[in-house]
Amino acid sequence: MARIAGVNIPTNKRVTIGLRYIYGIGPSKAQSICTQLGIPDERRVNELSDDEVLKIRELIDREYQVEGDLRREVAMNIKRLMDLACYRGLRHRRGLPVRGQRTHTNARTRKGKAVAIAGKKKVTK
Amino acid sequence: MARSVWKGPFVDGYLLNKAEASRASGRNEIIKIWSRRSTILPQFVGLTFGVYNGHKFLPVQVNENMVGHKFGEFSPTRTFTGHSSDKKAKRG
Repeated sequence: MARIAGVNIPTNKRVTIGLRYIYGIGPSKAQSICTQLGIPDERRVNELSDDEVLKIRELIDREYQVEGDLRREVAMNIKRLMDLACYRGLRHRRGLPVRGQRTHTNARTRKGKAVAIAGKKKVTK
Repeated sequence: MARSVWKGPFVDGYLLNKAEASRASGRNEIIKIWSRRSTILPQFVGLTFGVYNGHKFLPVQVNENMVGHKFGEFSPTRTFTGHSSDKKAKRG
Protein backbone atom coordinates (compact mmCIF):
# COMPACT_ATOMS: atom_id res chain seq x y z
CA MET A 1 0.00 0.00 0.00
CA ALA A 2 1.41 3.34 -1.02
CA ARG A 3 0.17 6.79 -0.28
CA ILE A 4 1.28 9.30 -2.88
CA ALA A 5 0.08 12.91 -3.09
CA GLY A 6 -2.36 12.77 -0.20
CA VAL A 7 -5.04 10.16 -0.06
CA ASN A 8 -4.32 8.08 -3.12
CA ILE A 9 -3.70 4.42 -2.53
CA PRO A 10 -3.27 2.71 -5.88
CA THR A 11 -3.52 -1.05 -5.67
CA ASN A 12 -1.42 -3.90 -6.94
CA LYS A 13 -1.48 -2.59 -10.47
CA ARG A 14 1.47 -1.56 -12.57
CA VAL A 15 3.00 1.73 -11.48
CA THR A 16 2.15 3.50 -14.74
CA ILE A 17 -1.49 2.53 -14.25
CA GLY A 18 -1.67 3.07 -10.50
CA LEU A 19 -0.34 6.62 -10.68
CA ARG A 20 -3.28 7.59 -12.86
CA TYR A 21 -5.54 7.27 -9.83
CA ILE A 22 -4.11 10.61 -8.77
CA TYR A 23 -6.20 13.53 -10.04
CA GLY A 24 -4.00 15.40 -12.51
CA ILE A 25 -1.85 12.48 -13.61
CA GLY A 26 -2.82 10.70 -16.77
CA PRO A 27 -1.14 8.22 -19.07
CA SER A 28 1.62 10.48 -20.34
CA LYS A 29 2.61 12.00 -16.99
CA ALA A 30 2.57 8.58 -15.33
CA GLN A 31 4.82 7.27 -18.09
CA SER A 32 7.23 10.19 -17.82
CA ILE A 33 7.47 9.82 -14.03
CA CYS A 34 8.46 6.19 -14.44
CA THR A 35 11.07 6.88 -17.10
CA GLN A 36 12.54 9.78 -15.13
CA LEU A 37 12.99 7.55 -12.06
CA GLY A 38 14.04 4.50 -14.08
CA ILE A 39 11.18 2.34 -12.86
CA PRO A 40 10.49 -0.47 -15.34
CA ASP A 41 7.03 -0.69 -16.88
CA GLU A 42 6.15 -4.06 -15.43
CA ARG A 43 6.87 -3.07 -11.81
CA ARG A 44 3.77 -3.24 -9.64
CA VAL A 45 2.93 -0.67 -6.98
CA ASN A 46 3.26 -3.17 -4.14
CA GLU A 47 6.73 -4.15 -5.41
CA LEU A 48 8.03 -0.60 -5.04
CA SER A 49 10.66 -0.03 -2.40
CA ASP A 50 10.10 2.67 0.18
CA ASP A 51 12.88 4.66 -1.44
CA GLU A 52 11.17 4.59 -4.82
CA VAL A 53 7.85 5.61 -3.31
CA LEU A 54 9.61 8.53 -1.68
CA LYS A 55 11.21 9.53 -4.96
CA ILE A 56 7.86 9.43 -6.76
CA ARG A 57 6.30 11.52 -4.04
CA GLU A 58 9.05 14.11 -4.26
CA LEU A 59 8.94 14.25 -8.04
CA ILE A 60 5.18 14.81 -8.07
CA ASP A 61 5.45 17.44 -5.35
CA ARG A 62 8.12 19.26 -7.29
CA GLU A 63 6.95 19.07 -10.88
CA TYR A 64 3.21 18.64 -11.07
CA GLN A 65 0.09 20.20 -9.72
CA VAL A 66 -2.26 17.48 -8.52
CA GLU A 67 -5.40 16.85 -6.49
CA GLY A 68 -6.65 19.76 -4.37
CA ASP A 69 -4.37 22.40 -5.85
CA LEU A 70 -5.31 21.45 -9.37
CA ARG A 71 -9.01 21.26 -8.58
CA ARG A 72 -8.80 24.67 -6.98
CA GLU A 73 -7.05 26.14 -10.00
CA VAL A 74 -9.67 24.76 -12.38
CA ALA A 75 -12.47 26.09 -10.19
CA MET A 76 -10.75 29.49 -10.01
CA ASN A 77 -10.43 29.65 -13.78
CA ILE A 78 -14.12 28.96 -14.20
CA LYS A 79 -14.99 31.46 -11.49
CA ARG A 80 -12.89 34.11 -13.22
CA LEU A 81 -14.85 33.60 -16.44
CA MET A 82 -18.15 33.78 -14.58
CA ASP A 83 -17.24 36.99 -12.75
CA LEU A 84 -16.04 38.56 -15.97
CA ALA A 85 -19.50 38.27 -17.56
CA CYS A 86 -18.00 37.17 -20.85
CA TYR A 87 -19.75 34.71 -23.12
CA ARG A 88 -17.93 31.67 -21.79
CA GLY A 89 -18.76 32.74 -18.24
CA LEU A 90 -22.45 33.02 -19.09
CA ARG A 91 -22.43 29.53 -20.54
CA HIS A 92 -20.83 28.19 -17.39
CA ARG A 93 -23.49 29.90 -15.29
CA ARG A 94 -26.27 28.42 -17.34
CA GLY A 95 -24.71 24.98 -17.37
CA LEU A 96 -24.62 24.84 -21.16
CA PRO A 97 -21.79 23.86 -23.51
CA VAL A 98 -19.08 26.51 -23.53
CA ARG A 99 -17.29 25.88 -26.80
CA GLY A 100 -19.98 26.43 -29.37
CA GLN A 101 -21.46 22.95 -29.55
CA ARG A 102 -25.06 22.49 -30.59
CA THR A 103 -27.75 22.40 -27.94
CA HIS A 104 -30.75 21.63 -30.14
CA THR A 105 -30.00 17.99 -29.43
CA ASN A 106 -27.35 16.29 -27.34
CA ALA A 107 -25.23 18.33 -24.88
CA ARG A 108 -26.52 15.98 -22.20
CA THR A 109 -23.25 15.97 -20.28
CA ARG A 110 -23.61 19.67 -19.51
CA LYS A 111 -27.39 19.86 -19.30
CA GLY A 112 -27.86 16.77 -17.17
CA LYS A 113 -30.45 14.12 -17.67
CA ALA A 114 -33.27 14.89 -20.08
CA VAL A 115 -36.41 16.30 -18.50
CA ALA A 116 -39.78 15.55 -20.09
CA ILE A 117 -41.67 18.62 -21.26
CA ALA A 118 -45.12 18.80 -19.68
CA GLY A 119 -48.03 18.87 -22.09
CA LYS A 120 -46.02 18.04 -25.18
CA LYS A 121 -48.00 15.92 -27.64
CA LYS A 122 -46.56 12.55 -28.54
CA VAL A 123 -46.35 11.84 -32.24
CA THR A 124 -48.86 9.10 -33.09
CA LYS A 125 -48.86 7.10 -36.26
CA MET B 1 -6.61 26.27 -33.69
CA ALA B 2 -5.01 29.08 -31.75
CA ARG B 3 -3.55 32.08 -33.50
CA SER B 4 0.21 32.15 -34.10
CA VAL B 5 2.05 34.14 -31.47
CA TRP B 6 4.38 35.82 -33.97
CA LYS B 7 1.44 37.65 -35.52
CA GLY B 8 0.61 39.34 -32.25
CA PRO B 9 -2.93 40.03 -31.06
CA PHE B 10 -5.48 40.98 -33.67
CA VAL B 11 -6.93 44.47 -33.32
CA ASP B 12 -8.66 46.66 -35.84
CA GLY B 13 -6.27 49.58 -36.21
CA TYR B 14 -8.78 52.37 -35.84
CA LEU B 15 -9.59 51.24 -32.32
CA LEU B 16 -6.13 52.29 -31.21
CA ASN B 17 -6.73 55.78 -32.59
CA LYS B 18 -10.16 55.97 -30.99
CA ALA B 19 -8.83 54.85 -27.62
CA GLU B 20 -5.98 57.31 -27.77
CA ALA B 21 -8.29 60.17 -28.76
CA SER B 22 -10.60 59.32 -25.89
CA ARG B 23 -7.71 59.27 -23.45
CA ALA B 24 -6.44 62.60 -24.76
CA SER B 25 -9.88 64.23 -24.46
CA GLY B 26 -10.01 63.19 -20.80
CA ARG B 27 -13.73 62.63 -20.72
CA ASN B 28 -14.78 59.11 -19.97
CA GLU B 29 -17.11 58.75 -22.89
CA ILE B 30 -18.46 55.53 -24.29
CA ILE B 31 -16.50 54.67 -27.40
CA LYS B 32 -18.87 53.07 -29.85
CA ILE B 33 -17.31 50.19 -31.72
CA TRP B 34 -18.50 47.56 -34.12
CA SER B 35 -15.31 45.60 -34.07
CA ARG B 36 -16.33 42.68 -31.90
CA ARG B 37 -13.48 40.63 -33.30
CA SER B 38 -10.73 42.80 -31.83
CA THR B 39 -8.66 41.64 -28.89
CA ILE B 40 -8.77 43.75 -25.76
CA LEU B 41 -5.29 45.20 -25.26
CA PRO B 42 -3.72 46.43 -22.01
CA GLN B 43 -3.95 50.04 -23.21
CA PHE B 44 -7.77 49.78 -23.30
CA VAL B 45 -8.00 49.12 -19.55
CA GLY B 46 -10.15 51.69 -17.76
CA LEU B 47 -11.98 52.88 -20.85
CA THR B 48 -15.62 52.20 -21.53
CA PHE B 49 -16.62 50.84 -24.89
CA GLY B 50 -20.02 50.47 -26.42
CA VAL B 51 -19.83 47.13 -28.14
CA TYR B 52 -22.43 46.65 -30.84
CA ASN B 53 -24.41 43.44 -30.63
CA GLY B 54 -26.42 43.92 -33.81
CA HIS B 55 -29.08 45.83 -31.92
CA LYS B 56 -27.53 48.33 -29.59
CA PHE B 57 -24.22 49.32 -28.05
CA LEU B 58 -23.72 47.53 -24.76
CA PRO B 59 -21.40 49.41 -22.41
CA VAL B 60 -18.33 47.40 -21.47
CA GLN B 61 -16.02 48.74 -18.80
CA VAL B 62 -12.65 47.20 -19.50
CA ASN B 63 -10.68 45.92 -16.55
CA GLU B 64 -7.35 44.13 -16.51
CA ASN B 65 -8.92 40.68 -16.29
CA MET B 66 -10.51 41.20 -19.70
CA VAL B 67 -7.19 41.66 -21.47
CA GLY B 68 -6.76 38.95 -24.06
CA HIS B 69 -10.45 38.38 -24.60
CA LYS B 70 -12.36 39.75 -27.58
CA PHE B 71 -14.84 42.60 -27.35
CA GLY B 72 -17.61 40.43 -28.73
CA GLU B 73 -17.44 38.11 -25.74
CA PHE B 74 -18.88 40.85 -23.54
CA SER B 75 -21.82 41.75 -25.72
CA PRO B 76 -24.20 38.81 -26.17
CA THR B 77 -26.00 38.77 -29.50
CA ARG B 78 -28.82 36.43 -28.56
CA THR B 79 -31.60 36.77 -26.05
CA PHE B 80 -33.03 33.55 -24.73
CA THR B 81 -35.29 33.94 -21.73
CA GLY B 82 -36.41 30.34 -21.50
CA HIS B 83 -39.33 28.31 -22.70
CA SER B 84 -42.88 29.22 -21.69
CA SER B 85 -43.41 25.98 -19.82
CA ASP B 86 -40.03 26.15 -18.16
CA LYS B 87 -40.91 27.68 -14.80
CA LYS B 88 -37.56 27.42 -13.14
CA ALA B 89 -35.67 28.99 -16.02
CA LYS B 90 -32.98 31.23 -14.63
CA ARG B 91 -31.66 34.40 -16.17
CA GLY B 92 -27.86 34.48 -16.50
